Amino acid sequence: MFHTVRRHLIAGSTCIAALMPLSLWAQEAVFVFGSSEVGIPNYNPLTAVNTNAAFTMIYDTLIEQDGDLSFHPHLAESWEEAADGKSWVFHLKPGVKFHNGDPLTADTIVQWIGMFRSSENSYMIDNVEKVEAIDDLTAKFVMKNPDPNLLYNLSSSFMAIPNPRVVTELGEDYGITEAVGTGPFKLESFTLGQETVLVRNDDYAWASPLAENQGPPHLAKLTFREIPEDSTAFLELKSGGVDALLSLPTDYLGEIAAEPSLALAKIPGQEVYYMPINVTKEPFTDIKVRQAAALAINQDEILKNVFSSYGQVAHNFLISALPESKIDPALDISFDPDKANALLDEAGWVKGADGIREKDGKKLTVALWTQSDSVFRRLTEVVQAELKTVGFDPQIQTFDSSVIRDEYKKGEQQLAVRSYFWNNADIVDWFFGGDRVGYPNISMFNDPKAEELRAKAMTGSATQEERVANFLAYHAYVTSQFPYAPIYQPEQNMAFNKDRLVVPEVIHGNSVTGTVVQDISVKE
Amino acid sequence: MLSYLIKRILLLAPVFLAVSAVIFLILHLIPGDPVDNLLKVGSSASKRAEIEARYGLDRPLIVQYGMWLGNVLQGDLGTSIVTRRPVSQLIGQTLPHSLQLGGLALLLSSVVGILLGVVAARARDRWPDRLVMGGVLLGSTLPSFWIGLILILVFSVQLGWFPVSGARGWSSLVLPVITIGLGGIALVARVTRVAMIDTAGRDFVLLLHAKGLPPSRILWRHVLRHAMIPVVTILALRIGWILGGAVTVEYVFARPGIGTTLIKALNQHDYPVVQACLLMLAIAVMLGTLLGDIIQALMDPRVREAIA
Repeated sequence: MFHTVRRHLIAGSTCIAALMPLSLWAQEAVFVFGSSEVGIPNYNPLTAVNTNAAFTMIYDTLIEQDGDLSFHPHLAESWEEAADGKSWVFHLKPGVKFHNGDPLTADTIVQWIGMFRSSENSYMIDNVEKVEAIDDLTAKFVMKNPDPNLLYNLSSSFMAIPNPRVVTELGEDYGITEAVGTGPFKLESFTLGQETVLVRNDDYAWASPLAENQGPPHLAKLTFREIPEDSTAFLELKSGGVDALLSLPTDYLGEIAAEPSLALAKIPGQEVYYMPINVTKEPFTDIKVRQAAALAINQDEILKNVFSSYGQVAHNFLISALPESKIDPALDISFDPDKANALLDEAGWVKGADGIREKDGKKLTVALWTQSDSVFRRLTEVVQAELKTVGFDPQIQTFDSSVIRDEYKKGEQQLAVRSYFWNNADIVDWFFGGDRVGYPNISMFNDPKAEELRAKAMTGSATQEERVANFLAYHAYVTSQFPYAPIYQPEQNMAFNKDRLVVPEVIHGNSVTGTVVQDISVKE
Repeated sequence: MLSYLIKRILLLAPVFLAVSAVIFLILHLIPGDPVDNLLKVGSSASKRAEIEARYGLDRPLIVQYGMWLGNVLQGDLGTSIVTRRPVSQLIGQTLPHSLQLGGLALLLSSVVGILLGVVAARARDRWPDRLVMGGVLLGSTLPSFWIGLILILVFSVQLGWFPVSGARGWSSLVLPVITIGLGGIALVARVTRVAMIDTAGRDFVLLLHAKGLPPSRILWRHVLRHAMIPVVTILALRIGWILGGAVTVEYVFARPGIGTTLIKALNQHDYPVVQACLLMLAIAVMLGTLLGDIIQALMDPRVREAIA
């Protein structure tokens, strides 16, 4: 009996020993998706509602966006926009092949855009009238309206280009059993909710110039795991079970410094934490009360104490990498408790003995909503304390993150603590557009002047410069009406095992994309 | 016996009907709209209507329930709203993982639990008893979520004996099985101890002693056998727990299974998947209870006679 057990144990350890060198020395790596990327149902960009990092490895896009939000060539070597903005010409890189050997030509682009029309994300090409193939490698986008945002949309992972022929052939199975793109990796297997295994595309020779390595990727095999629980994911990294976490939760930032084998790769943030203020609910119908609440938020204190000084403060609604975030500094919202107190005095709210303000026998008690995730709960408690110092009496109400959206739709909120993840100025339209009152416009902001500026920003710009100017005006006006208070902009951090991986100093991308992975290798 | 069996199985039908109605309704009462998850920025109202029609979400509740139940009885659990794949396929892929995990945990809790219970009963009020009962108290009160993380910290991170998470081979089963099994061990040990002590004081045991049978033979052949009746009942009830108790543990260990599938589907408001998962849990409980009743009938002559 004991003999057999021992024999099994020995056999087992020999197996492990036999496996060890393979995983230790070969160019194989295991990454863990960020928690916002878990649960992707398939790898079909035409039906995707969410995408994850592996999309950018299997597929390429026409345009690539760097971390500083500048645009760079990828499958499109170069492009020209007509002076009136009514057409764009894209010159495709020659010799690009799909994983099954089919060439990528201008005809492919025509077919793909045709299919994209009926996709879940067709709004991205609403301004595109049609696409014509001028020759094999030249595609012309004819526009209904000028759309300076076209480059941004074409660089989005939703506009990753699949092989139209295979998509049609496989139908609903596409993206589950097979996914055919032109990207640096091929899909080997996909287990829903568990893992995605990719293998190197040995023919890859069309990386974006943003990557140093222009040939096939260094990694021969790349496995992505989905681990829903943050602490488990972190312990996997710590124990060496995985090589990198694509997005390290803020709670664990401090722990990385304590681990000699772990390091962080910083990627510019795309997220903003803010406090929406419902302009239709008393007492926030009074702009002075709104402004006072916004000025009570101590951004520097929050950055230091809640987020251990990782990331940066927010003073308006957009991430600071966007040119549209550079509004008149006088309009930026910054901590000013004296002014907040003065505004509330002016508005007729008088401080009582308990420090809480009153007006006409009513206390300044307001509801402050938040969601159950730990970072939100902690942040909201600090926001509550800060609002208290100027005389508000905020009552925190916590909702599960899966149901809070439906609660917002009822419009009963007064204040809330939220965050959004987006790197384009059109997010102002999404959260403050008058036709989206309730959700996503949970500030219930509907202002005629804002609507006018909004229309101009969304459809009235012929060039990128015009679009920036129009969005600056729209963003500045919305901010001046205080339907929100800006709080914080986190960084994205990829945490990795530096004994195992070589990661470039500067990440050229707005997330860990296929272009970024081109330059990642396993230490030999 | 056969008629008892048939009666017992027929009794399951109304229970099943009630359970299925509750599962169906609860989901439609909680706030949340699955269609929201399928629509992106800027989608039109007609797109929403089209999706609602595709999944029958635009019809009256009672009609939706009737259609769903009819399909379920034919083995069709519907199509997942998020993955657009048959739910039965998804369940087919994840259920074996849950059964494996739960089955092993049940085995662990029966063997270890009964042994500890016997030890505690024999050493009643002495240190082994106190030790076991103290452990039992801890095992039944500590949340499995926390136990799981502590086990990972000690055995995976510090000692490096087992993988932290995932479902790759037998070694990745050890920690989750122990995590789930601990609660069961505590329960089984407690019930075994009480039943053993109670049985040991019965007249028939005194008689056996008087007859001069060796104490160990009395203990293992007579007392334990008699004491097993409530233990088996408890174990049968735990069968239902096999799937239900694994929900958080699967989540912590990032294992595939009914639990992780359920949590994800709940977050995505994927009604058909949530319904199917809850149905699996309910069926496990019903089958567990049925099995418990049958085993009890086979073991206990009084129940056997009552049936006859």
